[in-house]
Amino acid sequence: MNSKMDFGPVGCIARLLAIAVMGGCIGAGIGVARSAAAQGKAAGDSAQKLEEGKKLFHERCGYCHLAGGTGTFMLGQRLGKDRALLEARTDLSVEYIKKITRVGINSMPPHTRIEVPDSELDLIAAFLTRPASARGNAGSSGGAHE
Amino acid sequence: MALVLPPNVTEKTFQKALDAFAGVLGRQWVLATDEDRGTYMDIYAPGDADAHIPSAAVGPQSAEEIQAIVRIANEYKIPLWPISRGKNLGYGAAAPRMTGTVVLDLGRMKRIIEVNEKFGYCLIEPGVGFFDLFNHLQENKIPLWMSVPANAWGSVVGNALERGYGYTPYGDNTRNICGMEVVLPNGELLRTGTGAMSNSPCWQLFKYGYGPSWDQLFVQSNFGIVTKLGMWLMPEPEATLGLNIQLPNPDDVGWAVDALAPLRMNGVLQQSPSIGNSLRVAASQSQRSQWYQGDGAMPDDVLRQVLNKFNLGWWGIALRLYGYDEVNEAHARIIKDAFAKYTKQEFQVVKWHRGDPIENSGAGVPSTNALQIVNWRGGRGGHIGFSPVLPPTSEHVLKQFHSTKKRYEEIGIDYYGSFTLLDRHTTNVNMMIYDRDDAAMTAKVRALFKVLVADAAKEGYSEYRTHLTFMDDVAHTFDFNNHALLRLNETVKDALDPNGILAPGKQGIWPKAFRGRQA
Repeated sequence: MNSKMDFGPVGCIARLLAIAVMGGCIGAGIGVARSAAAQGKAAGDSAQKLEEGKKLFHERCGYCHLAGGTGTFMLGQRLGKDRALLEARTDLSVEYIKKITRVGINSMPPHTRIEVPDSELDLIAAFLTRPASARGNAGSSGGAHE
Repeated sequence: MALVLPPNVTEKTFQKALDAFAGVLGRQWVLATDEDRGTYMDIYAPGDADAHIPSAAVGPQSAEEIQAIVRIANEYKIPLWPISRGKNLGYGAAAPRMTGTVVLDLGRMKRIIEVNEKFGYCLIEPGVGFFDLFNHLQENKIPLWMSVPANAWGSVVGNALERGYGYTPYGDNTRNICGMEVVLPNGELLRTGTGAMSNSPCWQLFKYGYGPSWDQLFVQSNFGIVTKLGMWLMPEPEATLGLNIQLPNPDDVGWAVDALAPLRMNGVLQQSPSIGNSLRVAASQSQRSQWYQGDGAMPDDVLRQVLNKFNLGWWGIALRLYGYDEVNEAHARIIKDAFAKYTKQEFQVVKWHRGDPIENSGAGVPSTNALQIVNWRGGRGGHIGFSPVLPPTSEHVLKQFHSTKKRYEEIGIDYYGSFTLLDRHTTNVNMMIYDRDDAAMTAKVRALFKVLVADAAKEGYSEYRTHLTFMDDVAHTFDFNNHALLRLNETVKDALDPNGILAPGKQGIWPKAFRGRQA
């Protein structure tokens, strides 16, 4: 493979970045004392944002990156089937997702800020890097193009 | 990508124009960072993406905002390049013909204004994608079918305006256009057909209106910006019947065209079947290096091994009949009889009835899976298509097929072609797949493309559509009476767009302000 950028070699960096970024992004457990009500509201907001991020991921990226999609197929060829489905991955970082979305990779074209505005990309990246506690069944299924 | 200004525009004037655009749209929808410019480059360019660099992009959300943008562009002499969703992959994607042009990205205009079930049409904006319209029809259980291209990531409007096609009886997408709303290069808003009346109920029912009919003026042109488009949609049939067959030998494409063309013309076959060489299946399922790592084009014996592995012939055909069971069965018998004169092979038959899953119906179901072929050579893949139009006879088809295959082999790339049969012509799409990291390979592909244009022109064949880089080459093959057609196009261009602000160079049509910029 002659690619200049690849999900493979960046995986280690991606995991480190994910750890650094996810706390701030998801807004959970950063050691600041808060009231139970405030914590509950924050958790609710986070869950809602993850749902929005999931919906946007399916709408904007699902053309290729759900089960059976061309992006899933190509990632499966390059990295193996266990790393083919983006929403099941745990080794991606917010920065990496944003960069690849804007510059493209291999045969994946870049996405403009009109197709995926920054505010939407923030939510998509937060969804793809959600913590294990927010994963469960939701968000790891593929399904048809939506 | 660093800023490259439009020709004859200073940085100060350019900045003033951007500020004026932002005054209309808001700063958020004026995209002018280095990264923004990169997102509008031609991702699959055959080694010459730098020849088509945008200076910025703007994203209006309404015809009124487009009118305001166009007026500003005229004031500051800023060229604009309208795109619908920017997925014109293999033809230049979102990039402009002329470096420094500002991309007018209509991707925010995503309204499905009307879907009329009774009369089978929709009225949509340019940002509506094939997936958007398909989902709308499915979610609302509207029994109308779309025609979609092989890669359906793009815009319904953009595809129809570029004369794209699909594979149902409504597969000639441009033919389905019925009524447009257009912003002219001077900022005026126009509606074509009976839309030119302020109260017509027939805008999406009757194409011609009264007097000259202008819809084709805005197809593959730079004469206006289409902001709304009426499209006819196909009523869901009661049943479909598919006939699939694999043809074992390269020359079988000749008799297949001879067998099918009369049936396509007399209406037994109402859709436009694609006779494609089976490398396209192999390329979507595997990489070349799995089969062959030597120099030059893949040898015929290796290709035969690949085809055997996938249980494919040299060519594959998928015919589909739409309508009622009894009629489909009768037409299937006629097609089988026509093929029996040439082969003993049997068709694989696929039947669908209303209520069965749509995936097996022959309806246009959007997918992006065709993109998988760009991974054939590995690296950062790219593709470009050379697509001449020929008479549908074995004589023309075989000569063109062998000539093109030989040219591919001369530069060491694998032949990948198809012949799609429409009413009275066949469109011969020849795909070139390359590794963009291999500069020598992409240079050879660029050179090959010009050779193919010249070869075809000698036979009197033109392309139906082409990549940005070759728009002038193809335009100049229309040489009757000292290029009278191009001169007419230029006359119209200068009359409608005296400042030359709209898509300079598209389809080889250059406005006076930039004429002579052909590279």
